[in-house]
Amino acid sequence: MPTYEVFLKPDGKDGFFHAGSLDAPDDEMAALYCRETYIRRGEGVQAWLVARQHIVTLDPKELEVTAHRQHASNDGSVVAQRRRARRQAGTE
Amino acid sequence: MRVWETMEDFDQFIVNGGTVEPGDDMPSAYRQEVFRFIEMHANSELFGGLCERYWVSRAPGVHRKLAFLAKTQDEIGHAHLLYMVAADLAVKSRAQMIDDLMAGRSKFHNVFHYKTHTWADQIVIAYLVDAAALTTQQAVLKQCSYGPYRRILRRIVSEEGFHMRHGEEMLLTLADGTVTQQNMFQAALDRWWEPVMHFFGPPTKDGDLLIRWRVKSDTNEALRDRFVQKFVPMLQEYGFVVPDPALHRNASTGKWVIGDIDWAALRATQSNVGPDSAARIELSKQSWDNTAWVREALHVP
Repeated sequence: MPTYEVFLKPDGKDGFFHAGSLDAPDDEMAALYCRETYIRRGEGVQAWLVARQHIVTLDPKELEVTAHRQHASNDGSVVAQRRRARRQAGTE
Repeated sequence: MRVWETMEDFDQFIVNGGTVEPGDDMPSAYRQEVFRFIEMHANSELFGGLCERYWVSRAPGVHRKLAFLAKTQDEIGHAHLLYMVAADLAVKSRAQMIDDLMAGRSKFHNVFHYKTHTWADQIVIAYLVDAAALTTQQAVLKQCSYGPYRRILRRIVSEEGFHMRHGEEMLLTLADGTVTQQNMFQAALDRWWEPVMHFFGPPTKDGDLLIRWRVKSDTNEALRDRFVQKFVPMLQEYGFVVPDPALHRNASTGKWVIGDIDWAALRATQSNVGPDSAARIELSKQSWDNTAWVREALHVP
């Protein structure tokens, strides 16, 4: 029996979040189980059900490298340093 | 997939606040411990739902019937969520877990090994047992190292909160009711206080793996004590007597101290030979067998 991953979109500005999973014999039953198991008190205004086998997964090792791309972000330390230097030059 | 070369590395990862995910190459002892814990939680939710179902038609009035129906569905729903999380640990399939439970090979919480004699018993369960469950679940939710369990607990804990408030509302109805209603609740409290104290488990041993790996964040005694400090004064305020002759207030700390606990009854429930274990397991098996045609109709294995 296929396992589906359940994503819910709460009302408001937030996007879909992963709510959990369920086993269902087909899409129609998956929709029924989703309503009964995950949306009993308006937890979502939209739901996505995706058969787990169709999800493409990237694991932490593959993504780790992106956390070290210093050139892709700027913590402002150089700007601070330059500003400091300019202030000091101005007071001397 | 993350891999830890040694157990020391894994322990350090946990100490540093790491979260383990299903795809990780976690140590098999960790996998087993987490699985065992979640499976028991799932079994208990399912049994809780099945036991409560008995009271849906017996609850006084349409409002209470509907509330009980919703609560029963929540408990069965929690079991469903937890079985999915447990199955992803690949120790047992969902079908195996259900088979083991129906055959009496699995454990479930001690409180579901007892008979509910009156409507007041069910209120004690709805209030005190749910509060005890909430106390333990909040302690897991706080910093559990297994990601999927922690995330699913957030939802479960929020729904248990409704149940507890519903339980307190029903308790207050009896507390403010006739003498017969008050006596009925007191009699139920007398039956259930010990099982509720047992619910938190025997004193946690040194080196407990669930604590070491931050599945649980507090010892059983600490959780029991947290519950006692909150609910003893509350029950007294509502006019009831906590059935523990040794219960007293420590003069210097002002904290409530309970008497020694006799663990014999808890041990019986842990081996599925509690007062009502056989009947409870049989009831769930009947319910499972009676719905076989539905699974068959849906071509569900």
